[in-house]
Amino acid sequence: MGKLLARAFMGFAALWIIFPILVVCLAALNGGRTMFFPPEDPTLARFAEFFLIEEIWVRSLQTSFVVAFSSAALAVLTAWPIAYALWRRNSRASKLVAGLASMPFALPPIVFGVGLVFFWGYLGALGDLWSGILSHTILFLALPLTTLSIGLQSIDRAHLDAAATMGASETTAFRTIILPQMMPFTASGFFFALVLSFNEFIVIFFVSASGYSTVTVQIFNSLRNGFTPTMAVGAITFLAISALVFSLIARFGNLPQLLGADTSKSS
Amino acid sequence: MTASTLPQRSVLRGIGVLHVAAVLVLAVVPFLLVFAISFGHKVEGAAWVWGFELTNYRRFFVGTDYPDSVSLLYLKYLWYSVWYALVAAILAVATAFPFVWLMTRGSRRAQTVWLVFFLCSLTFSEVFIVMGWDILMSNRSGLPMVFQETGLTDWLKENGGLDLLREWGLATPRNVRFKPSEFATILTLTYLVWPYAVILLYPPISKIEREVVEAARTMGASPFTVVRTVVMPMVRTPLVGAVLLLFVFLLGAYVTIAVFADPSKHTLSISVYEAVRGSTLNAPFGSAQAVVLLLTAAAVLVIGQRFLSAKTGGH
Repeated sequence: MGKLLARAFMGFAALWIIFPILVVCLAALNGGRTMFFPPEDPTLARFAEFFLIEEIWVRSLQTSFVVAFSSAALAVLTAWPIAYALWRRNSRASKLVAGLASMPFALPPIVFGVGLVFFWGYLGALGDLWSGILSHTILFLALPLTTLSIGLQSIDRAHLDAAATMGASETTAFRTIILPQMMPFTASGFFFALVLSFNEFIVIFFVSASGYSTVTVQIFNSLRNGFTPTMAVGAITFLAISALVFSLIARFGNLPQLLGADTSKSS
Repeated sequence: MTASTLPQRSVLRGIGVLHVAAVLVLAVVPFLLVFAISFGHKVEGAAWVWGFELTNYRRFFVGTDYPDSVSLLYLKYLWYSVWYALVAAILAVATAFPFVWLMTRGSRRAQTVWLVFFLCSLTFSEVFIVMGWDILMSNRSGLPMVFQETGLTDWLKENGGLDLLREWGLATPRNVRFKPSEFATILTLTYLVWPYAVILLYPPISKIEREVVEAARTMGASPFTVVRTVVMPMVRTPLVGAVLLLFVFLLGAYVTIAVFADPSKHTLSISVYEAVRGSTLNAPFGSAQAVVLLLTAAAVLVIGQRFLSAKTGGH
């Protein structure tokens, strides 16, 4: 009886999460311009519109890709030295740097967005693509910083001591011991940042300043005329990217460990 | 490879210092600018100039015409920011907690599948989530349609339920109507952070040792007593911590409020946007509002931490 109730509750929770997402995805099949559910006059024409025909969507999808890939790559490259210094030295200064670098992610993004408007405005870069990329880099720096720190902590220092006694320099030890073990954590950090950047709205809404638009910004800007089925194709695309990315992390990395669960006793 | 030479080292160190400096400038200076500009002066018909005046804060708390008249408009916005965020955060944590408890009893593989599932919905943009609930609650194709078609509307009309819903602002004389409403706003906000609640509660709950719970059970404690005396003390800190984090996150919610809340019940994030980029264009005042939002977040975090340390201090 208890088991059945538990199953029912979990099923209900899954349904509660899935249902609105499913509604958005199915709305992409609508034949008309209105979002009906269930879809009326089902067609796949919206997919062609979103990916090929309608220029605003094609362009904003490209922008989304450019922003997400460059900012995620930059975030990982930026996070590496900070995480490494934090692990090697564990000094108060490096802790402070890591804490401050994570601040934009921890505070309400709308405040960071407002600050960035002023910041880029001063530099005359508001509305430039590169400033948008840097904004996302800093906003999501906390993610690779966290995954890399988790990874570095799991490295056995005895291996490093052994390498040192056998005469390996720090560079060699880094290349042969640390780097190979850190690949899954580096990739996870990259992909977490990538997916969040794709889906981020408020900060890029502020800093894009109508100079360009990502898919999320474009959808919000078109809201005045209501939601249309073509936007729902964007939703499906982003969902597919998330599903692919997190399945890959789960397959090649240790997702429970990355999320901070105790995995020592259950495996 | 031999030890690197001295000039090489100093070049590396220089790059390191530059790197840290660049990161800190980008992460910290925007916040400092918001703080500094909140004391600035708005020039009518133009932009604004630096200054040190409390006009913007005075306008926030008592209105521009104080002491002739008092306007609490922005305090009302702040109140709605706090109200929506607090209710949604508590609802999300309260319902996610039993779920995570059950989830961590599953196999490792099942847990991973659930985590992938929640990470996908967690990263799903607020824009899309609002789109989904917008369809579900729209008068022409969503829940109101379901109410109409299944005869639920007629049933509600007959026994006076519709009148009650009208009092709550959830119906028109003809049918139920869910947007704009506080109900739709809080529902969507709760939905927005539900997967976050799961991900936040997962580590602490997965660390609870089942043996302790089972021991209490075999010693004759009822399930209710076990939850109250064994489980709750172990998870109180993460539960309150999760509520606080979700609260801070929800304080900045924008799209949900813009779409689902009645304009008279909008929040600070909407008016911050209006002031900084939107129609009213008053950067110093927008900054002051953003600072108040940050201070609210900080105050709630501090109070929460006090609460937690007071509770655990007794042991």
